[in-house]
Amino acid sequence: MFSYYLQLGMRSLRRNPILTALMVIGIGLGIAASMTTLTVMHLMGSDPIPWKSDKLHYVQLDNWSADNSYYDDGRPPDQVTYRDAVALMEAGKADKQSAMFKLSLPIQPENKELKPFRSLGRVAYTDFFGMFEPPFKYGGPWSHDQDAGHERVVVLGKDMNEKLFGGQDSVGRTVRMDDIDYTIVGVLDDWKLRSRYYDLTNGAFEDPDEFFMPFTAAIDLKQRSTGNNSCWKSSGDGWDAYLDSDCVWIQMWVQLDSPARLAEYKSFLDSYVNEQKKLGRFPRPLNNRLLDVNEWMADQEVVSRDVQVQTGLAFAFLVVCLVNTVGLLLAKFTRKSGEIGLRRALGASRREVFSQFLIESGVVGLSGGVLGLALTGLGLLAVRALYSEYKTVAHLDWTMIFVTVALAVVSSVLAGVYPTWRACRVQPAAQLKI
Amino acid sequence: MEIRPIFSALMRSKVSMILIGVQVAMTLAIVCNALFIIGQRLDHMNRPSGMNEADTFYLGSSGFGQGFDARATIREDLATLRQLPGVADATVSNSVPMSEGGWSTGLSLQPKQKTSTADTAIYIVDDRALDTFGVNLIAGRNFKPEEIADVTFGDRLQPASIIVTKALADKLFPDGDALGKSIYMGEDPPTSTIIGIVDRLQQPWMSSSSIENSTFVPAFMPYGNSSRYLVRAEPGRRDEVMKLVEQKLSESNTSRIIGKVHTMEETRGEAYAGDRAMAIILTAVILALLMVTALGIVGMASFWVAQRTRQIGTRRALGASRSDILRYFQTENFIITTLGLLVGAVLAYAFSLWMMQSYQSPRLPWYYVPIGFVCLWALGQLAVLGPAMRASRVPPAVATRSV
Amino acid sequence: MLKMTHLQKVYRTHLIETHALRDFSIHVREGEFVAVTGPSGSGKTTFLNIAGLLEEFSGGEFLLDGVNVSGLNDNARSKLRNEKIGFIFQSFNLIPDLNLFDNVDVPLRYRGFGAAERKKRIEESLTRVGLASRMKHYPSELSGGQQQRVAIARALAGSPRLLLADEPTGNLDSLMARGVLELLEEINRQGTTIVMVTHDPELAARAQRNVHVIDGQVTDFDEAPRLREVAAGNADRGSGAESGRAVGAMD
Repeated sequence: MFSYYLQLGMRSLRRNPILTALMVIGIGLGIAASMTTLTVMHLMGSDPIPWKSDKLHYVQLDNWSADNSYYDDGRPPDQVTYRDAVALMEAGKADKQSAMFKLSLPIQPENKELKPFRSLGRVAYTDFFGMFEPPFKYGGPWSHDQDAGHERVVVLGKDMNEKLFGGQDSVGRTVRMDDIDYTIVGVLDDWKLRSRYYDLTNGAFEDPDEFFMPFTAAIDLKQRSTGNNSCWKSSGDGWDAYLDSDCVWIQMWVQLDSPARLAEYKSFLDSYVNEQKKLGRFPRPLNNRLLDVNEWMADQEVVSRDVQVQTGLAFAFLVVCLVNTVGLLLAKFTRKSGEIGLRRALGASRREVFSQFLIESGVVGLSGGVLGLALTGLGLLAVRALYSEYKTVAHLDWTMIFVTVALAVVSSVLAGVYPTWRACRVQPAAQLKI
Repeated sequence: MEIRPIFSALMRSKVSMILIGVQVAMTLAIVCNALFIIGQRLDHMNRPSGMNEADTFYLGSSGFGQGFDARATIREDLATLRQLPGVADATVSNSVPMSEGGWSTGLSLQPKQKTSTADTAIYIVDDRALDTFGVNLIAGRNFKPEEIADVTFGDRLQPASIIVTKALADKLFPDGDALGKSIYMGEDPPTSTIIGIVDRLQQPWMSSSSIENSTFVPAFMPYGNSSRYLVRAEPGRRDEVMKLVEQKLSESNTSRIIGKVHTMEETRGEAYAGDRAMAIILTAVILALLMVTALGIVGMASFWVAQRTRQIGTRRALGASRSDILRYFQTENFIITTLGLLVGAVLAYAFSLWMMQSYQSPRLPWYYVPIGFVCLWALGQLAVLGPAMRASRVPPAVATRSV
Repeated sequence: MLKMTHLQKVYRTHLIETHALRDFSIHVREGEFVAVTGPSGSGKTTFLNIAGLLEEFSGGEFLLDGVNVSGLNDNARSKLRNEKIGFIFQSFNLIPDLNLFDNVDVPLRYRGFGAAERKKRIEESLTRVGLASRMKHYPSELSGGQQQRVAIARALAGSPRLLLADEPTGNLDSLMARGVLELLEEINRQGTTIVMVTHDPELAARAQRNVHVIDGQVTDFDEAPRLREVAAGNADRGSGAESGRAVGAMD
């Protein structure tokens, strides 16, 4: 019976090509608009590391001025000072922990045919790799001992290794950066990150890091962060004064494997800050935070307001398209009251007529969904052209393709319910008498 | 014409009326708010930076190693740049407007003031900056070469003299007597004296709430081994000068990297890419929405015409002229649209309220809704015209045709 | 009142020409009650459509109340139709979305009467057909006979000189049909000219004069129409022997 109804549906749609086109275009446009924005929002905001996002926590301490909070709404600074970062690293109370900052360095390739170039990388502790789990192609992370020994070692990103060594296993070789040689201990494989969630302060959708080096070694070389640096009072002159200052410029992540560990770490932070208060620091009330990955992404509005507004508007648009479809289906089905009366007179039950027309609505939805899918592809292409930084998040994946088509079919069947119900109320006699 | 009978006839087919009405209502709500957002974005994008953007570009230089002499390099580079043909002027600056990266600080009128009086962006420049940026000095004087202090990166800036924008001067000294006054950069002495006021220069951050609060600080302070040059070409010669500059600087010193050359126009494009994208996306949504709504009206009206062919014939037989029939459908559309618009007006303000609460957006100005009314009335009339014309061509003899 | 001379009506499709009326002549005098009979397809309805200005004709001459209709544009025809002609259809053609009051109101709106005038006329004509009490009802709430009475009220409301009825009792049972017919006779007695198309000989027999149409031509008519009893004190213009005698259908 299903295939018979399907056939009837197709035939009926072909008989009224203009009305059908109006419906399919309407649904297609609505689906495309909502799916385009939804895809971007979904990929932007989706959990980047679902298997452990609740275990990774971002450390925030409120060392800001007594007179002004860092954010107007009272939230603590989004980075920590050098002295606090080092104190927390030395205490080592978390299961894994890494202080980190963004660094730009000149790279001087061995190969003289390559001109020197600037590269953006990350300064961190070895636990960075354990926490965020980038895939390694060659070698691996440096060791805790190498952290402790301030050793000049480096992990290269895939592209950097491609550029410098043609993609070969370069572990054990050296790379010269700002006139200093670093020994390569590992090379990353393709690390597909939708957003660089571990450093939201310096942009969630920046290019991926091209190298990683030990925090201790970078500090020895007096490397300042290329990222955001905020001070609420003058730091005083010179490097040592800067390290000792209340300027925040370092991101601090910890891994806490259980709620109990989280609670322990929280109380550790509180007692640490209270100790510091005795030294005259931390003039503000206790305001430590340990947000997990998703909380931190929400706090930093990784899904931008624009994208949220666009998604809201696009769904309102979809509703308009569905209302439109209800109207047109109603028009179409009402015109067929004669046919319905005839079918009923020839023995079709109300239920059979109902299925026939619902399936016809479903066929409209499916066509709209296919059109919508094509338009969604175009829409995402446009998003990538308009927002160069969203190139990692403006892609259709299989889930979204499925959701698109399903949304179209389900919503148009829903849109078809009322007109179908109306059509089924037709009394067979009323239509046949004349 | 005959509004009441049309209206009561409509009330007998509520569902169709509600369907079109809901579409019109939501369309109005979406279009008004989207247009408002677009308007805000366009206003945002049209803000002047205060610079000569057309002829100006900038580039970075970074040397490597501890032995690199940044100060000497910068002096050489500036000398090279300034004598290149086609270069109007060049300066070294830590930042440029719209680049989203730079320095800021609070300015205070008293020492140890708890909350600073104004926040400002800091442009660390030499005495050629005003000319290179292309800003207009409206009071006071420019820096003298001897006022450019040598500062080591990481040390506190303590400029004896500064030049501020008019917006900043007015914020610090609302009486308009900022020139010659002293202020504190940070919480401690010494003070800095305002020796000049320029009409306008934006901060580097586009989302800043006080975007025209900027200060020129006269200092020679390389950022490690790095520096950034801003170059203004003679009118119309920017592109050729850019190539020349890149080539000359690369040749002059091989122990450093010359970064990509950015024009101010590119920088503006990138700074406002989000606004532009938002405006384009919302425009597309509006157009698609209007199209769908218009198609919906065409579809429903055609259906109604088909359904009422006999009724139309009867009316014609009873003496209605073609234009009576045309007007009937137009009036009917007008009534439905108006009802939808009334609901839509409420929706539009509700949506705006939600935007205000969720995103701190400004309130939707009242005139968007009446403008939306006019547009949707016009859209409705346009959409119904075709079906209504078809209706008016229904021959009256339909009335006597047996079914 | 209505005079057609050598009227022709040809329907053309790209393949064939159909002569719905060929050399059709008829003269209906003021105050007459004429029944037009004939088998289906004979051209009755075409004649009625042309008489009611619903359709144009291909050749010949047609005077309606002395006005030469050929060459009038659509607007003028609509106006003439609205002012001079009342219609009664076989299937009533009431507008289902309007109540009785608004249905009767339709032609008056097009006539351009003021609100008070319209109200007076609507009430009068609904009273005349005995439905004044159901003014706020919708057509679907009435029986067929009642619906046809509303249609008659609608036709009368504009005080037309000529009433055209197309099988007015065709959709009614005999009891209702008799009521409607009596109403028509009553209206005729009060002076309105009626032309009624029907294929029912019994119905036709009650008219003053019969015109028989076959194959688009008037082939037979009752040369000496029966004189109707004129109600006492109701000897209006145009009834009686004079009109009966003067009937002339050519050819």
